[in-house]
Amino acid sequence: MSVARRTFIQLGAGATVGILFTPTVWKALDDVSIWTQNWPWIPKLKYGAVEAKPTVSKMCESGCAVKVRTVAGEAFGTMGNVDNPLSGGGICPLCANGVQVKNSPNRIKAPMLDGQEISWEKAQEVVAEKLAAAGSKVAVISGDQTGTVNEVFSALLNDKGSDAFYVMPCDMQAADKAWTGLMGGAGQVGYDLEGADLVLLAGADALESWGPTVANLKSFAANESGKFIFAGPMQTKTASVTSKWVPVPAEGMAAFTLGLAYYVLQAGKTVGAADFDLFRSMVMSEYSPAKVEAATGVKADQMAALAKQLLTASNPVVVPAGPVAAHGAAFALNLLLGGAMKALPEFAKAIPSAMSRSEMLRADILDGVNTDLLFVYEANPAYALPEKIKAGFTVAFDMVQTETTATANLVLPSLHPYERFDDLASPYGLAAATYSLGVPVSKPSVNAANAATFILGLADLGFETFEEVLGAKVDAIGADMDALQGGEAFVVEGETPVAASLAANVLGKAAVPVKGTGAVGLVPYTLLSVGTANRATTPNAPCTISNNQLVGDHMVVMMGSATAKQLGVSVGSMVKLSGGKGECEALVQIFEGVMPGVVAAPLGLGHTVGDEFSKGKGDNVYKILTVSSEAAAGASTWAGSTVNVAKI
Amino acid sequence: MEERKTSKRCGGVFPFIIGFLATCVLGWAVIPGLFFAEEEQPVWFSHAVHVDGQGMDCESCHYFRDDGSYAGFPTNEVCAECHAVDPEEAREAIAEEGIDLNDYAAIMKAGIGAIEDNLASSDEDKMQAEREYVVKYLIQGKEVPWLNYQYQPDNVYFSHASHKNLSIEELASMKKELSDVVDPSVFEGEAPEQNCNLCHPKDIQTNDVPPALQRNVLSGYSKTTMKMWKCERCHALKGQPNACYTCHK
Repeated sequence: MSVARRTFIQLGAGATVGILFTPTVWKALDDVSIWTQNWPWIPKLKYGAVEAKPTVSKMCESGCAVKVRTVAGEAFGTMGNVDNPLSGGGICPLCANGVQVKNSPNRIKAPMLDGQEISWEKAQEVVAEKLAAAGSKVAVISGDQTGTVNEVFSALLNDKGSDAFYVMPCDMQAADKAWTGLMGGAGQVGYDLEGADLVLLAGADALESWGPTVANLKSFAANESGKFIFAGPMQTKTASVTSKWVPVPAEGMAAFTLGLAYYVLQAGKTVGAADFDLFRSMVMSEYSPAKVEAATGVKADQMAALAKQLLTASNPVVVPAGPVAAHGAAFALNLLLGGAMKALPEFAKAIPSAMSRSEMLRADILDGVNTDLLFVYEANPAYALPEKIKAGFTVAFDMVQTETTATANLVLPSLHPYERFDDLASPYGLAAATYSLGVPVSKPSVNAANAATFILGLADLGFETFEEVLGAKVDAIGADMDALQGGEAFVVEGETPVAASLAANVLGKAAVPVKGTGAVGLVPYTLLSVGTANRATTPNAPCTISNNQLVGDHMVVMMGSATAKQLGVSVGSMVKLSGGKGECEALVQIFEGVMPGVVAAPLGLGHTVGDEFSKGKGDNVYKILTVSSEAAAGASTWAGSTVNVAKI
Repeated sequence: MEERKTSKRCGGVFPFIIGFLATCVLGWAVIPGLFFAEEEQPVWFSHAVHVDGQGMDCESCHYFRDDGSYAGFPTNEVCAECHAVDPEEAREAIAEEGIDLNDYAAIMKAGIGAIEDNLASSDEDKMQAEREYVVKYLIQGKEVPWLNYQYQPDNVYFSHASHKNLSIEELASMKKELSDVVDPSVFEGEAPEQNCNLCHPKDIQTNDVPPALQRNVLSGYSKTTMKMWKCERCHALKGQPNACYTCHK
């Protein structure tokens, strides 16, 4: 027995040593290590043709003309479209993350009625029933400023006898209220930033979040001989690259602009408006440099120097932002200067019963919405306007979960811009009317549908699908469908603006600075990487948010050292900001680029619903904004918001 | 004591030598073969029929796309340029016959005109292969899952465009150094116009019956999938960079 055992051990030892002299063990080890590359949960690459397909992205408020990079038909990246003047090859921080949003786990995957998944057919039934019951008490809030989708929604409202079409507060709305509402102008105001030799950005942070930022940046880069000046309460990133920053409080921007107009009028500039004389006497008596200096703190000699630069420029333009009065004052000044402000013709409608863009911008959402049935299209009023919106039944269309979809009765997933037909008609701010078309460049990754096509199924508006509507739109404006689908834009140059009136009566009262009762002024500012009222920050973008906006999960507010001293805080202090009907918590950062007596806070943080990149990051500044009525202009504004600051 | 004597009678180290030699033989001659399982191509594709018979060249099917990437295998779209069966018409004809679209055997047996009248082959065995392709893939709208003899892992970036100008004739001068990297027979005879033989089965373009793919049962890759050291060796010999990011992008 023991002999056999010993022999066996010797045989085994020999076999063991012998096998090591063969490739078997080493090959097996090698193959096993290679096998680890093929574990089933390891992502597999897509193989196929790499293409760059032109379409439009609607992540930011202006929209970007983009090219979506695909491999084997699957989107994997986004870049600018050099063939489109909106883009010139650039892309904004929100739209740059289009693919990541498209593939985000935060996408809404199917229609949801009161938290329960339902079919699209059932959703159609529910909405049809609610629509019939609501009668004319139907309203729409649209987060899209440039899409023909608004024609579909407004035509539905018209069909139901309602005109309750709302947009989220925006500069395009304030501009329209001033231009077509107060001054009797026609078309949409635009600014030739590339052709102007002097650009006074009166609050418009055009190179970071105002208007078509990518086109603005391209114009800024192309305009080598032009001079850019920024006026506003904070030295924004835009201000940091312009020639000069003029500190002007937000609520005083209209008065400041009229203060400039004083010198321009004094120089003998005139304009053929019915109330020119009234305007002249109003400015000369009410907005003399001394009075403006007293009201805004801007030195008279600084205004004089600025006015001189505007008068000596051959093609100047003043670009406003903020309240209606600030827009009206800037438009009046532009008309006096006769510079690079343009009036863009509106493109013909695809649906005759739809509202014009001006009509769509008429209703003031800050006055509040109260309706039986509310459609919210890719907007987030529950985040930005929680106190203002009341509805018996809310239908929210969106791609991703938001505060609005979390509180809506019926949530309908809309297709991502890369999965749907869409368009971009004249984003506000451009010097030319521009139309771009978006076509699906990727298959839908969830059970989503085109919101406009869904609406077309609810009423007989003459079209079955949104694709048909866009076909009619392209025909109506006289563009070439093939060129548009190829990524080119249809462009109609802007015209010289003509106003019936300078709104002297209104501006005289509306331009008076009105400030809240809080201890310090509040300057809310927008950065696209942080987010907008409608869109939270996107995946990848948080790594571009600086310590001046967010540290860890804490929002950061900036103020000058004099303000900090006045408030008894220092760098890193945790403070509570109280204003409006709410409170915010933030860390303090000292930045001398913020005017004394004001605190600057980033809009777009503090989401309670969303993905890991936005939810629970910072605080929501919309809570502490104060809505005030613009005297005489018949509008509401957040300019002049103030807060009390307490160290905690 | 008795046990020790017995042990000596058994030959001392003899069992060790027996074990050693046995596993050496097994390890060199038998076991390596067990690592591989043979897999046939999903369709009998004859290069000879297409290249010699129809005068097609390599680029007809294995071409570079407009974006510069290499398409690899032909898609149905490419095959349909010659194989003129209209998938929609064929599907309608199959439905009219009351045959399930997934019942391949029944479709092939039924002799459906929309398929049979458009087959390009004349020999019965080749016609059967073409019929199989048409029924199983073309009219189903499915791409043929061709087996790739040199499939590379996803973590390897291999550009055909970067290697297309390698010349077998020029490389022949270093055939000794390359003998472990490529099949030495590649350098025998007159150098072909195409350099595909460097990595792919030699003279595959004249092949009538596609060779079986020998798939490694552990790693899942083909026996002829190129190993990293081979890439590195050739790069070093050609004076090309061997930094990690050259191939692992």
